[in-house]
Amino acid sequence: MSTAGTNIFVRIYWAATVAMFALALAVLFTYTPTESTMGPIQKIFYLHLPIAISTFIACMVSFIASIGYLSTRKTEWDELAAASAWVAVQLCSVVLITGMLWARGAWGLWWTWSPRLTFSLVLWLLYVVYLMIRMSIESTERRAIVGAVYGLIAFLDVPLVYLSVRLMPDMHPTSVELAWPMKLTLMAWFVPVFMLAGGLIAAKTVLNRRQGEPSPSVAGFPAFPARGAL
Amino acid sequence: MTRAISQFSLLVRKDLRIESRSRQTIGLVTVLGVLVVSVLGLGLGAASNVAGFSATAVLWVAYLFSGVLCFEKTMAVERNDGVLAGLLMAPLDRGLIYLSKLASNLILMIAVAAVVTPVGILFFGFDLSAAPGTFVAVMALSIIGFASIGTLFSAVVSSTRLQGGLLAMMLFPIVLPLVITSTQLMLHTFRDGQPASGGAVGVIVAFDVIFMTVSWIVFEWVLEP
Amino acid sequence: MTALAANPFPTIQAAEETTPLVVGARGLGKTVDRRIVLHDVNLRIRAGEYIAILGTNGAGKTTLLKLLATLTTPTTGQLQLFGNDAMRTPSAIRRRIGLIDHQLLLYRDLSAIENLEFYAGLYGLDEPTKRAEEMLHRFNLLDRADDPVKSFSRGMSQRLAIGRALLHDPDLILADEPFAGLDAPSSEFLENAFQQIVTAGKTVVLVNHDIEQTLRLVDRVIVLRGGTIALDQPTHRLYLEEILAEVKAL
Repeated sequence: MSTAGTNIFVRIYWAATVAMFALALAVLFTYTPTESTMGPIQKIFYLHLPIAISTFIACMVSFIASIGYLSTRKTEWDELAAASAWVAVQLCSVVLITGMLWARGAWGLWWTWSPRLTFSLVLWLLYVVYLMIRMSIESTERRAIVGAVYGLIAFLDVPLVYLSVRLMPDMHPTSVELAWPMKLTLMAWFVPVFMLAGGLIAAKTVLNRRQGEPSPSVAGFPAFPARGAL
Repeated sequence: MTRAISQFSLLVRKDLRIESRSRQTIGLVTVLGVLVVSVLGLGLGAASNVAGFSATAVLWVAYLFSGVLCFEKTMAVERNDGVLAGLLMAPLDRGLIYLSKLASNLILMIAVAAVVTPVGILFFGFDLSAAPGTFVAVMALSIIGFASIGTLFSAVVSSTRLQGGLLAMMLFPIVLPLVITSTQLMLHTFRDGQPASGGAVGVIVAFDVIFMTVSWIVFEWVLEP
Repeated sequence: MTALAANPFPTIQAAEETTPLVVGARGLGKTVDRRIVLHDVNLRIRAGEYIAILGTNGAGKTTLLKLLATLTTPTTGQLQLFGNDAMRTPSAIRRRIGLIDHQLLLYRDLSAIENLEFYAGLYGLDEPTKRAEEMLHRFNLLDRADDPVKSFSRGMSQRLAIGRALLHDPDLILADEPFAGLDAPSSEFLENAFQQIVTAGKTVVLVNHDIEQTLRLVDRVIVLRGGTIALDQPTHRLYLEEILAEVKAL
């Protein structure tokens, strides 16, 4: 695809994402019934759940990219791993904030060591550390290897975190049965959130690639002219 | 197989022999652990309503800091005089290097825990009479998991300049499931008087098995002379 | 240019063809951190050769030696050691390689004999203690066998390091600036040691900085410049000025 063609595609994509968000917001405020016990704050749930799932998917992409890097040592995998981890941190921050707003609305507390909030916090910490690791190492190759090993281990840790936080005392019942209007609202929110997450991962990967020096293997000529015989 | 075992024991004996000559690691790490417990004891213990079973959390903080220092130092042995290249050049399965370092780390950590744990129990008045076996078993299993991943990470960061801080930053979030599970187990056993839940112990064992296996496999890919 | 060692005497050349190939490198390249350290390296080394690799700092000498030692893997190209693909079967090859570095590769807190016994055990040698003692005797270190390596002088620890490298009787000895920091007697000792090994039919490849010494010692000189081979000739065809020119040429 030509650069001009790519640009148009990108613009249409983001315009569509914004439009879907606008639609989802409209649905939320006109169509969706307000929940009886909690009031309007409950509507945060429709943003919270899709973003939580997107976070998990971003973490999984980072995991797969980390394995990809460790087996092939190609920088493209490293760029994807870093990009998806970055997106995971941004999304997880939203999960934490919306989760805290929910807790405030439901129990009047900004923080509680309940399983869900604790899980979000640990996930956030895991991937923030990933970003910190990348910032701390200068050598490109070493940074990629350390990042990949950590990315692999961190994702394997996630199910263990999930299982361990379930031991903590929980303040609310586990699942709620959703009425149809609520399910439709959720679907209206899933679309723009997934588009946002996917678009961000792609954009950040491209940004990572541009910020690195041109890879010698791409252009096919050495980084400095060969002297002597060839 | 017998060759592997003899090579493994050679590696471990070499590490322990060096440690016994220099005696650097064990002293430093133990003192650090006792200091952490003392600081927390001074800060928290003065408050009269600190529950005895919070000693587990205090011990974890001590283990985490001591552990990071310990893992860093066992790996640092291979950084002097380029001896790691000597190991990598030998007809040696690189996974054995991981297992031998893990064994050295475990031996050192258990020695440290043997000192730091009684100190913690003393300062916080933790009453273990209800289920001492559970306590020891849970902490031992947790330390195994901690050392498994700590050995891998210490190898990964040992060629970077920042070592200690970076290692601590990488390790702490990963071992949180161990911290959470063991502290919850202690609460249930000692405060609520319930028998140790199989599911909870299962989480710790799963952590140990998964991370020991993965670390053993990945170790080979990250060693650099 | 990048000529392989050509021999003007046909009968000797025929003998060379049947001598086993210890190192076979084709199109070898290594990129580290997006910087090309080595590229397009073609090399054939036969058993019994005594070779020096020269070049300025950053020319890629140490990297090439690390590749030959299987301590790192090439980014491009193929490397065969003793007829085996270096990337597929490194373990079988490692038993036949000995490395001498300017770093000691010895544990300073352990004694001389403990170090050698450790490596002997690691290489699976029979009677490790006896082998260790023999090696210490050969390098005049037997009286210091139980002293920790950190108490040794530089010359003594370098001798011990060579002993360690030769312990398992390797067929290919790689040495990275082994003469660095050595006094005259230790230097002479090392030169004799290398000569003995070559006479015994082993292959020695060393990275060196002293060009005159190199010309005096080795059979074949390879000059690396800018990450590739600029010169590869037997010593008897070279003059000092020629090598200096190649090494320093811009």
